[in-house]
Amino acid sequence: MLLQQLVNGLTVGSLYALMALGLTMVYGVLRVLHIAHAAVFTLGAYGGLWAFQATGSFWAALAAAMASAVLAGLAMERWVYWPLLAKPPIATLIASIGVFIGLEEVFRIVAGPQPYSLDVPLLLPDVRVGPVLVTAPQLLVIAVTAALLGALWLFIARTPLGLALRATSQDRDMAAACGMNVRRVVTLNFALGSALAGAAGVLVGIYYNSVSPTMGGVTGYKGLAIIVLGGMGSIPGTVLGALLVGVVETILISLVDFALPRDAWAFLAMIAVFLFRPQGLLGR
Amino acid sequence: MYILTVATFCGIYAILTLGLNTITGLAGQISLGHAAFFGVGAYTAAILTVSYRWDFWPALAAAVATAAAFGALIGAAAIRVREDFLAITTMGVNFVVVAVFLYFPFFGGALGIGGIPGPALFGREVAKSGFFLLVAAGVVLALAVNLWLLRSWAGLALLAVREDEDAARASGVDVRKFKIAAFTVGTALAGLAGAFYASFLTFISAGDFGFPFSITILCMLVFGGIGTNRGAIAGAVVLGVLPELFRFMADYRMLTYGTILLLLMRFQPAGLLGDESAVWRALRKRRGRGVSPGARAFQ
Amino acid sequence: MTRVCALMLAILVAAGGFVAGRAAAQDAIKIGFFAPLTGFAAADGASAKHSAEIAVEEINVAGGIKGRKVELVVYDDRHDSKEAVALATKLVEKDGVVGIVSGSYSMPSRVTAPIFAKAGLPVTVAYAVHPDVTKAGPCVFRNGFLGQVEGAAGAESAVKLLKAKRIAVLTIKNDFGLVAGAAFIERARKLGAEIVSEQQYPLGEKEFGPYLTKLKDQPIDLIYHTSYYNEGSLIARKARELGIKALLEGTEGIDSPKYLELAGAAAEGTTFTTNLNRDDPRAEVQGFLRKYAAKAGTGADMVGASAYDAVKILVRGIEVGGTDPKAICGALQNLRDYPAITGKISKFTKGEVTKPVQIQIVRDGKIRSFGVIDNPDVITPPVQ
Repeated sequence: MLLQQLVNGLTVGSLYALMALGLTMVYGVLRVLHIAHAAVFTLGAYGGLWAFQATGSFWAALAAAMASAVLAGLAMERWVYWPLLAKPPIATLIASIGVFIGLEEVFRIVAGPQPYSLDVPLLLPDVRVGPVLVTAPQLLVIAVTAALLGALWLFIARTPLGLALRATSQDRDMAAACGMNVRRVVTLNFALGSALAGAAGVLVGIYYNSVSPTMGGVTGYKGLAIIVLGGMGSIPGTVLGALLVGVVETILISLVDFALPRDAWAFLAMIAVFLFRPQGLLGR
Repeated sequence: MYILTVATFCGIYAILTLGLNTITGLAGQISLGHAAFFGVGAYTAAILTVSYRWDFWPALAAAVATAAAFGALIGAAAIRVREDFLAITTMGVNFVVVAVFLYFPFFGGALGIGGIPGPALFGREVAKSGFFLLVAAGVVLALAVNLWLLRSWAGLALLAVREDEDAARASGVDVRKFKIAAFTVGTALAGLAGAFYASFLTFISAGDFGFPFSITILCMLVFGGIGTNRGAIAGAVVLGVLPELFRFMADYRMLTYGTILLLLMRFQPAGLLGDESAVWRALRKRRGRGVSPGARAFQ
Repeated sequence: MTRVCALMLAILVAAGGFVAGRAAAQDAIKIGFFAPLTGFAAADGASAKHSAEIAVEEINVAGGIKGRKVELVVYDDRHDSKEAVALATKLVEKDGVVGIVSGSYSMPSRVTAPIFAKAGLPVTVAYAVHPDVTKAGPCVFRNGFLGQVEGAAGAESAVKLLKAKRIAVLTIKNDFGLVAGAAFIERARKLGAEIVSEQQYPLGEKEFGPYLTKLKDQPIDLIYHTSYYNEGSLIARKARELGIKALLEGTEGIDSPKYLELAGAAAEGTTFTTNLNRDDPRAEVQGFLRKYAAKAGTGADMVGASAYDAVKILVRGIEVGGTDPKAICGALQNLRDYPAITGKISKFTKGEVTKPVQIQIVRDGKIRSFGVIDNPDVITPPVQ
């Protein structure tokens, strides 16, 4: 049964990872907490929902989700984050919160407060490995996450733009001094992070069969705990942190009869890691 | 009574923003969990008066003390941690504290705590107007504490810590002590507000003290002008009254709120009455006063 | 001369019309109404508001109350105590209402009830479940069930109607879940069933893998859960996904077409305790269901039906007692055998109803009647 819970945990962790990566990437280059990222996530879910209702295709939904998320993320970067770069970080934080609150309301006003079903018929089978059952939706989430993460890794490790990304997140001023187009790198970070969040949004919508205006909040808060846990700005750290939180949450619930909300567990885990490693698991 | 009710809420919010200003404005420590200490104060007062039949006044003192103790604890943790991490840590504290209130029956659990008595003076229960005066006195107290801190040597040290921690440490300022002091004072004020809140509403539940409310308090402070006491009070009053004024556009209220925050930060990050804000500068020209020492870093 | 006369006549007529118009407007009887119209509970708030508006429309079309129109003064409480208190004081002081309807959850209802009670205004509560709401004063009347009653009824249904012997209980960790769940367990044990598992989960939980995996390999006849339709549909889906064959029974929380939509095929066969019987042949019931579907675009749910009734009950009190709040209160205390669409109310005891509990079932993708629990032992509210 533990193995089964492990699978459950990894699935949930994958969703967290896709969501949290955008947060850590933005933090990496801009050193700001992108609270509005949760709204990008939700927008992706609605984009995917709309595309699926129009075409009935999963791939169209995924593409639309990622595309709409990217557009939203870039818009935020251009009109909120970049102009506020020189101002104190708290101004950016509050502006981000304003965007988040505003967008949640826009979703509610435009799409309505009730949740929509996103029942995508999956052509995947349920997979049985010994005593462990990996259901079709779980398989979908894990497969898509692995593919996206793989693509991201390839991009960052093997392309010149990816190198620029890494350099800028390590030291923005230095990178600029070396002649890198920092603006372009920042934009790229937003685009990639948002794309992943959009994918997360539509996957969460499918996995839990529900798209609603407030779906971003809970996952968003947890994402913040995860990026700290993993080491802010560290991509591998965030992935590791996300999977860890997913697995630990799941196993705790199955072992302990103590129903603390999942958020609380994530933050407790974060605080626990903090006490021993203040820079996070893989942070610098 | 309606106006008194709204005014009392604004007063409670003002005590909260002034307390947050001590932590975030004066000492520069970003706290995203202020509502947790508000909750600690409220629950302390509630449990003592309901389960243990304490009187309002000693319960009030206990609420302040408990919240301050918690604040000292968090302050002690804050010293280990960098600025950005602190923000999320305080956020985490908020979630954990609310979860504790929700899950342990000692705190009423999901049912909350009800039947909280109001303050009594000379054996009679204090009327609504009396309660407002009490809260107003609390605001004055909070303001006084902040002003005293600013003008004292503790204040100077806090400002030094906020401007440049390393330089301050090099100059012999015990950075740790002052961070903890700032947290303690700020959270003590939150505890005070919590005790008032509990008696005022007569019923509290964990949901009142969640992270969204911490954000609300921070928004009030930044809106008014972070780092300044006048900004803290102005933000609390304006954003406390605005939802009532905007009831006629109920469906679009929150959307307007979010937009206002965004536009304000984009074009006036100093807030409504911050030192570099258009409003304050216009007022200053009329009076010929100097810059508030508390606000410099936030321009 | 004639011109001046004509002008004066015209002015008089206009003035008369104006005064008459204002008098008619002033003649409206105002009823306060609050619900969570924004925030996480906005879906239920919308449902409550639509239904309240339908009720008021029906009353006004039929001539109002003794010729006077009814007007709803609507507020959004955002499911926040501070908002609720502020709007309550406003209702009491500024809006000139003769009574209030709560279309909201427990927290706002509970925190405002004492304010209304102190002002002597009668309140009808649509569906909030916290026991303390009616304890605020003698003029608070709850249309919905107490958690204890619903839980006990659920046990009757599970053990007697569905013949379940081994039951797993999965409750939401909020006031509703705790109270209903505890009552279910007590009653089920009394009736001879075995509770093989008791688990609790937080509001908003989406991942039920861990909870249900624990139940997967045990022989269980029925899973009882006290959730809202978001969690309930996820429980149903996950259970079927994992191959769990046990029956599912829920509460009024899942009484919504949204449950069917979000749970899909997994909803088939679910039973739940509620107050709305969709197969009720009465014209008022079917009429409401039709009107709601036309107005909101989706099927009605328990929240809506309860809000409709809460408005109508208050109006009944006004019809009998007039516009003096004390008289309305008295009228409601003396109300007998009121035919609410959510079940006939024999009377209010300390503000709580004695009303049969409906058991509905999902069959062929629709919500149908399955049974009724009217054992007085079960449905009498536990108040002295």
